Amino acid sequence: MELQTNGLTLEVVGREVSGRPVPGRPRRPAGPYLLGLPALLLSCVLLIPIGVTVVTAFRTPDGFGFGNFAVMGDPAALHAVRNSLLWVLVAFGLVVVGFFLALLSYRLPGLTPFLQPALVVPFAVSVLVSGVTFRLLFDPAPERGTVTAVWSALFGSSPVWLGPGLFWLVLVSAFGWTWLGYVVSLFRAGLDAIPDDVTRTIAAEGVTGWRRLWALEIPLLRPITGVVTLTVVVAAVRVFDLVLIAVPGPMQQSADVLGLNWWRATTSGDPAGRTAALGVVLFAIVAAVGLIGVRGLRRRRWAMPVPVARQDAALGRPKPSKRARRIGWTAGVVVSLVWIFPAVVLVATALHSPRAAGLRGWWSPSGLGLSSFADAANAGLLRALLSTALIATAATAVLLAIAVPTAYLVAWGGLPAWLGRVVMSVFVVLAVTPVQMYAAPLRDAIGAAGLAGSRVALALVHAAAGLPFAVLLLRSAFAAAPPALVSEALQGSARQSAVLATVQRTYRPALIAVAVLEFSMVWNDFIVGFLISGPGTTPLSLVLWGEARQFAASSGTVAAAAVVASVVPVVLLLSFWSTVVRGLTTGSKP
Amino acid sequence: MSWGGQELRAFHRVLDSLGNLDYTVEVVPLGDDISSAFGARSTRPPDLVMLPQPGLVPRHLRDLEPMPAGLARRSALWDELLVHDGTTYGIPFKTAHKSAIWYRPSVFRAAGLQPPASWPDWLTVNRALAQAGIRPLSLAAGDGWVLTDFFENVLLGIAPAVYAGLATAAAPRPSRQPQFAAALRLLGTMWSAPGSLAGGVQRSLVQQFPDAIIEVFGHRRAAMVLASDFAEPVVRQFAADPKDVGLFTFPSLAPGAPAPVVVGADVMVLRKPTTDDARDLVRRLAAPAAVDPWIKEGGFLTDVRLKGYSPELTRLAEQLAAPGELLQFDLSDRLGRLGDTNGLRRVLTDFLVKIGGRGAAVLPEAVDAAVGQMREVEG
Repeated sequence: MELQTNGLTLEVVGREVSGRPVPGRPRRPAGPYLLGLPALLLSCVLLIPIGVTVVTAFRTPDGFGFGNFAVMGDPAALHAVRNSLLWVLVAFGLVVVGFFLALLSYRLPGLTPFLQPALVVPFAVSVLVSGVTFRLLFDPAPERGTVTAVWSALFGSSPVWLGPGLFWLVLVSAFGWTWLGYVVSLFRAGLDAIPDDVTRTIAAEGVTGWRRLWALEIPLLRPITGVVTLTVVVAAVRVFDLVLIAVPGPMQQSADVLGLNWWRATTSGDPAGRTAALGVVLFAIVAAVGLIGVRGLRRRRWAMPVPVARQDAALGRPKPSKRARRIGWTAGVVVSLVWIFPAVVLVATALHSPRAAGLRGWWSPSGLGLSSFADAANAGLLRALLSTALIATAATAVLLAIAVPTAYLVAWGGLPAWLGRVVMSVFVVLAVTPVQMYAAPLRDAIGAAGLAGSRVALALVHAAAGLPFAVLLLRSAFAAAPPALVSEALQGSARQSAVLATVQRTYRPALIAVAVLEFSMVWNDFIVGFLISGPGTTPLSLVLWGEARQFAASSGTVAAAAVVASVVPVVLLLSFWSTVVRGLTTGSKP
Repeated sequence: MSWGGQELRAFHRVLDSLGNLDYTVEVVPLGDDISSAFGARSTRPPDLVMLPQPGLVPRHLRDLEPMPAGLARRSALWDELLVHDGTTYGIPFKTAHKSAIWYRPSVFRAAGLQPPASWPDWLTVNRALAQAGIRPLSLAAGDGWVLTDFFENVLLGIAPAVYAGLATAAAPRPSRQPQFAAALRLLGTMWSAPGSLAGGVQRSLVQQFPDAIIEVFGHRRAAMVLASDFAEPVVRQFAADPKDVGLFTFPSLAPGAPAPVVVGADVMVLRKPTTDDARDLVRRLAAPAAVDPWIKEGGFLTDVRLKGYSPELTRLAEQLAAPGELLQFDLSDRLGRLGDTNGLRRVLTDFLVKIGGRGAAVLPEAVDAAVGQMREVEG
């Protein structure tokens, strides 16, 4: 640029601006922060009681210290810790078994259509129901217990399966029955998402067998392995109602786990500080597992691809040989039958009169009828159904209304990076926090507020407990939508409707997954209702629990109540399962 | 209340028969968590509590309202627990006779036996039955209270004074009493006899009282089961032959001595502060006719009535009302912490595991271990 003035010709040369044009930091609009406000308030329902518990745990008569943690020297508490750690091992074992089963179903495609529903049903029913089912299966009387009957027929006599030592077999089978379907489904989704060209390259290089497993499937499935392990391990550490319902009284002590030990200590009137210390130890174990799991997730190199367009089926994997299909089909039928069998036992028991169910097994042709259902209805089952439906619906609605804006804020709201990390870590820790950590103060607070027995209070607690997981999941989904697509949609350079359809396709599974999982989790809940709600809310699980206290005499009624209680979650999860799995796995970026 | 299942349904029928009330009654089943009705943890405290451990009444006087005046006079037996300084704090609603043994008469007839009249007699009967190929006893060790009831009967039978002393002591120390060990030895003689327990110890441990009843009357694998009067509906529901049901009461421990009778109850108490409605409900429920529906269903005893029961329960009701009987309340309730799951129940369960079916040789060591364990619990 040339300037002429006072007879001089000046050449003005510009240069690139470096550094900030304006001093200070970029202004971020404060508006989006408001989106997080409801979540903050709801989280306080958990955060404040957790704080109270921590303070109680560390408060001793003379100031603060670790005095209360002397409770961990108690042999019973140590025994409970050992059992809880054993449960973690069980969870790892389950993940391994589930992985190989998923691999089998991947290699033998004929298997899937049978396996899927058989594996989903156990996941849909509550822990209480699966405890009831396995107690029926392993009943010590050869006239009633299937396993005892078969064993006696084969070997003359049968061990007492619910007896000392052997009850572990019953517990672990019930736990495995519940969770294996989840593990297999998620691994299977991960295997299906491995791009075909990768598979082909590996095959062309001649890598097969175990080497192929180490080179291909295991590294590529690492993120999903993280998610699966985290969920199952947390469930294992939280085992509570399964032991309560499945283990007969005299063995309860040897089956003790930390969560139960805490509960016994609270009900037998131990000092609040000591029980709080137990809660903190339980929490520390779970939180450590959670944070390690999340760190493991972060170090991955490969993410689940988001299928933008449906793959052309003709380009897919080569069709398996006829022999492979036949083997797959047979294996599928066998595994599915075995897996669905406990559910069959439960339904068949429910279809016997209480007298027939108490005297003979589910296979007996006498005493068939619906009188067990009538008995269950008399025990207040219908009122409990209504109550549970209200609580679950309210909790799900509140959860969605609060989690969606929060997840949007965390994903795209322009939070400073450090704040985003803090928020996510808090949510990860909250997502795995055991109920024991906040139950006691929350129960007191609800009582003091005069809200005891109020369904609204219970629904709010459920929504608060479900919020962390929902936000984590939704945020992953929001963040997984390709940013280019989103900005194109917003700026109108592409055809907006087409782009939005793509974006919506990535969100919808996660939204449905959150809604379906929250609804069925609240529906199946025992521990929150048991530890926090006052009498009067009568959720289903408490009715079931009350009926099961004299197990043999009411096995027909208990089975009927369990069947009625399971219909809704089973139908819900069966109809939405593939969407739920997609929602759980799509771009699960921690 | 602590009832569930059939008992809960029966109570609903009692409530329905009370006619039109000016208020609504909400039934809150608290299960084994019943003591929470008084605890600070209770979220919505019930007005009226059916307390299954009358032994708790003297400890909770501060939380209780006096009973309304003008109720039917109960047996003086209750005064010890329910009346303090002339004020009545509780009214028994349902009485439990904890010294009842249900058996199958056909088995006894086939072996040419009579229900035992004394403890040594009972041991002989067990031996004879075992020799005839029938397990004499089905033991519901899965319910801790069955074991404590068994033990209490023996202790009350051999040492009434010690029993009474332990029940009323401020800081009871059962393990210091030589009769505690003596009762364990007697009990152990029966439990350790080879072939005495149906299914053996392992099986006993997983049995609740309905299972044990089904073993005797449903699957007919055993001859007798110790279970209270409230087991009646279960017995009738599952009996393969409804006519083959008999009942005898706990025999005396030595020929000529009085037979022990251990009593339990669900006691109505009113929480402070109470309402006129709650008082009215107590008045209605305390009326002898109020419990007719439950009596008709069976498994219900009340000390204001002697009639209307089944023949078996009538005998129990008469024994409860008879003067001069060796009547005492359930000891495990009154021992507090020492009597609960981690106390006497645990001790007796471990004792059973050590000796069950193993013969008398293991007894001395097991009794010592049990006494030691009890001492540990006492602290």
